[in-house]
Amino acid sequence: MSQRKISLGLIFTCISAVLALLGCIFYVINTKTNYFAGNGVSTPVIACLAIAIVCMVVYVIIGMRGTPVWADILPVASSALLISGLMNFASARINGIAAVMTFENNAQNMADLKSAIIGMVLVGIAAVVSIIAAFFDVTVEK
Amino acid sequence: MANKRKSQRLWRGLASLTASVTALAFVGTGMVNSFRTDIDKFLGTSSTRLVTDEEDEGEKYLYTSDYASTTELVQGIADLGERMQEEGTVLLKNENGALPLTEDEKSKVSLLGFSSYYPVQGGDMGSSLTPNSGTDADTVDFVGALDAKGFKINKDLKDLYAALLPNFQTEIDNWGNVSLVNSITAPMIGTPFTSKEPSQSMLSGENANWKDTLKSNNVLIVTIARAAGENRNYMPGEAGVDPAQKLNQTDPLGLSDDERDLLKAAAEAKKANGGKLIVLLNNASTLEVQEIEDNADVDSILEIGLPGGYGFYGVCDVLSGEVNPSGHLSDTYAVKNSLSPAAQNYGFYAWTNADDANYINSEQIEAEGIYKGYKYYETRYADTVLGQGNADSKKGSIKGAWNYDNEVTYPFGYGLSYTTFEQKLTSVNVDLTAKTVTATVEVKNTGEVAGKDAVQLYVSVPYTDYDKENHVEKAAIQLLDYSKTGVIEPGASETVTITADAQYMASWDSLADNAKGTKGTYILDAGDYYFTVGNGSHEAVNNVLAAAGQSTDGDAKNVQTWNLGALDNLTFAETKNGTKVENQLVDMDYNYWEEGTVTYLSRSDWDGTWPVTYENLTANDKMMEYLDNDIYEITSDNGELPTFGAQNGLTLADLKGVIDLTDERWSQLMDQITLEECLIRTGFGGTSTKAIDSISSPEAVQNDGPNGIYSYPLGQYANKDKESGDPCAIDEKDKNAGYMCGVMANETVIAATFNKELVHEYGVTMGNYSLWANLPIYWGASANIHRLPYNARNHEYYSEDPMLSAGMAAEFVSGGKEKGLIVAIKHFAFNDTEINRSGIATFMTEQAAREGELRCYQKSVEDVGTLGVMTSYNRVGVIADNAHTGLLTNILRGEWGFKGLMSEDFIMDPNYVHLKEAVVNGVTMSCNTGDNTMQAVSEKYPYWTVKNVEKDAVLTNALKQVMTYQAYALANSNAMDGYSSSTHLEKVNTWYDNLFMALKVIFALLTLLNLVMYVRATNKKEA
Repeated sequence: MSQRKISLGLIFTCISAVLALLGCIFYVINTKTNYFAGNGVSTPVIACLAIAIVCMVVYVIIGMRGTPVWADILPVASSALLISGLMNFASARINGIAAVMTFENNAQNMADLKSAIIGMVLVGIAAVVSIIAAFFDVTVEK
Repeated sequence: MANKRKSQRLWRGLASLTASVTALAFVGTGMVNSFRTDIDKFLGTSSTRLVTDEEDEGEKYLYTSDYASTTELVQGIADLGERMQEEGTVLLKNENGALPLTEDEKSKVSLLGFSSYYPVQGGDMGSSLTPNSGTDADTVDFVGALDAKGFKINKDLKDLYAALLPNFQTEIDNWGNVSLVNSITAPMIGTPFTSKEPSQSMLSGENANWKDTLKSNNVLIVTIARAAGENRNYMPGEAGVDPAQKLNQTDPLGLSDDERDLLKAAAEAKKANGGKLIVLLNNASTLEVQEIEDNADVDSILEIGLPGGYGFYGVCDVLSGEVNPSGHLSDTYAVKNSLSPAAQNYGFYAWTNADDANYINSEQIEAEGIYKGYKYYETRYADTVLGQGNADSKKGSIKGAWNYDNEVTYPFGYGLSYTTFEQKLTSVNVDLTAKTVTATVEVKNTGEVAGKDAVQLYVSVPYTDYDKENHVEKAAIQLLDYSKTGVIEPGASETVTITADAQYMASWDSLADNAKGTKGTYILDAGDYYFTVGNGSHEAVNNVLAAAGQSTDGDAKNVQTWNLGALDNLTFAETKNGTKVENQLVDMDYNYWEEGTVTYLSRSDWDGTWPVTYENLTANDKMMEYLDNDIYEITSDNGELPTFGAQNGLTLADLKGVIDLTDERWSQLMDQITLEECLIRTGFGGTSTKAIDSISSPEAVQNDGPNGIYSYPLGQYANKDKESGDPCAIDEKDKNAGYMCGVMANETVIAATFNKELVHEYGVTMGNYSLWANLPIYWGASANIHRLPYNARNHEYYSEDPMLSAGMAAEFVSGGKEKGLIVAIKHFAFNDTEINRSGIATFMTEQAAREGELRCYQKSVEDVGTLGVMTSYNRVGVIADNAHTGLLTNILRGEWGFKGLMSEDFIMDPNYVHLKEAVVNGVTMSCNTGDNTMQAVSEKYPYWTVKNVEKDAVLTNALKQVMTYQAYALANSNAMDGYSSSTHLEKVNTWYDNLFMALKVIFALLTLLNLVMYVRATNKKEA
């Protein structure tokens, strides 16, 4: 059995997964804020981000022992899911952002908006890193 | 092996990239569909087009423009803007005929104060000025107007202020962007006012010899400004002033030491050099200017309001005497605003059990009752003269016993002229059968300059023992109606006849029995009714007091009396459409929920009923049942279900101009609409009323106001197909295509004209603009009452007086209607403050509501038939405005007979939208936007599904009814121009649709290709 060493793919995938998780947490926090609580929780956002994270975690675990061919679909899927999650996240917040930036602009609403903005930025970065990660393996043979 | 893996990585990475772009394109397409209207607005694209059968010869254009080109149009707007300002500028002081300036003086002008160079021309947000350049009617500031009108200004001083610009620039937070603006700004909610006027040392530091430049430029014009804006607020007293500044400023609407020092320096320069000192008040909220009035060195004071894009031309014409000022104040100038009874309950009073998730934030109890503005000051004055009601109490007094002279600087309705007029009220006829009061007034120009005069018809109604026993309050004087003369030459006269609506001198009595067998009706008390005219409310009340035998400065001869032998509770027991009135707003009285909590101000005892501040209140369980935003329960088996989806072969164009809603074609047409369409269109009505396929109803774009239709450039939606037959089609390269119409003076200036014809002309002009710009819905007639000057949004409302507001709003609506423009009234109702405007619970008596704020709108609905209403964010008592049956269903649509579209204000929280409650109460659309699908609307409002709603007869009938009202409004507007019976909408792909389609196809193929290449690389044998 050949020995393997960690590659950039592991680092990037882990970073992406952590960022996606944080983005997801910020989204959930945002859905609990006073201003956005009434908008409910968007299933597509949660589903896309959760499945993407699972894909990345599975990809990393499997990849530690060498990535089988079938598993190479996982980084492709995770990137596409993160982008989908980001777009759904933005779509669910656009009206609220417009309102807070204009007619309902006050410190509390701006604070509520902040978690949405942070969440979207995190998911966006996670998607970019995930695409980069797809160009690398999790581990390579020594 | 390594090469093989390398290839796999490459193709996997590329597949990841292209798959991500593919996902972006697919999800993005969904987003685009959700926000298509807004995207089209932003990009200037159109996703639909009109198609009319060639053999259809129906009349497509019902409305015609008065202008032959956009050049004529925009120049007409500029001309109107100038004239509006000329008549809306109010001369408050003019010692020794200091104004108008001579030709020689016009060349010696020194502008002082940074607001002279960088004035407030519109709101910081809402009714902001839209500057235009490179058009046929470019906007100007004060300096530009002076230059254009032949004035010469002190260039050294101009350069000095220009050099200081960075020192008085202000950060402004709009659209989430913090930007620097040059003019003074109004405080955001929760922040204090900051004075930006440069100090004397700052001026001298920039140019040590600046005072020397005043010697040869000794016509000194000082501008004192306070800004205005939506979502802005001034807090009363020192709490509203930046404590770090230490400028001896006791109120944000009072002067700072830097402003005082500027006036002092100007006064000294005048003493040293001769000349004149003129103060311009650049404001929409009345300022505390007693010290300027008392300053003997100040020759003249002009209130110029917020002049918009062309108003400074008018200000120059007033300064030069080209035009004789004829404006009169739309609000009272109090010496100290914070002492008024309304100010005792103005601010952020949080519920102790606030719940932000449900917008349960704060309350505001309008314990002053009907005594707002001059109705407080003049009534209390009358009672001090009459020696009744403890009017001379110290409560609300600046010092010692309350004395009018200490409290008011300029009364409501006051204004001077370069000439003098004599008004004689020669006759008054009260006809309770016709329900009119007809007054004839002889107006004579007794001076030496031609000019116009405002005729203000006031009434003083009896305040009786019955009123005291039944808690009916009566102002000692109230404006009943008004008119404006034409230009009267010196020595000439004009007879003005005013036919006023008598219902507006009736009082609401919540305890009276009514024709319906319940409680609450309008009454006319037994006793003497005094009618008079005057230069403002104070002169009017003095006339009445004199006629009543009191020793005042009034002219008893200028009073006509009418006696009513017995209390009349029948004449106005039914409204104009025959609806019997009854109490509808008893739940606005806090005592309805917590008995005995609030004492409302009564003139029977000014001292004993003086308002205390109601704060730290707790909403009880009964109140919370309504505050939680869930009031209407969707049910089934509650009546006959309506017809949806019939095939009757009608289109909305078949009903163009059909004003009779009982015409059976209306029900036939609306039977064609589907329940899904009703649900989607009520849920997503923001920025435009979207097309409805089943009835061929077009999209109609909405615009904000009221300082002009300014949401989009003239050319954005204009028809650019000159071959289409549209008489208002414009050329692709039209010079004015980029023109933005937020250029009119603000509403306090418009109100100060007291000229209904001029405001009607404004409505017609906006109607013309809408024809060229294809913008048929205009949230333009803002008519909320000025409860206090601290509401920084007063610039978008007319006045503290309901009848002045009502007259202006109605004429504006009427003018627009002539050209098919839907001028909607807003914000219906009680949007009296910007503090917590979403969710604030507003309490008052029903009498105060009906005789105050509601009268501002009543005329627009009853007499003019407005086709549009925008509701408000706030709560009416504890019930959200959009869910209040008494207000929306029973008063607006019931008593007043409103038929038309009704939009919520910009409420984005689906919970606080109250969609089901709003629809049941006649609201035709929320302000949200979204995809034209049930999935999208149900995602926003989970209860808004076909399955959930279809068996509820009340709700489904309401849905159909509100869509009927909406279709009715459009059919009677210019939204239908270009349509005939066969006209239908066809969807077209915009460039961005094509882009997304291309992205989807290309990147999907690339993804496939990458996957194929990956497989090939996987299967490839190592060399």
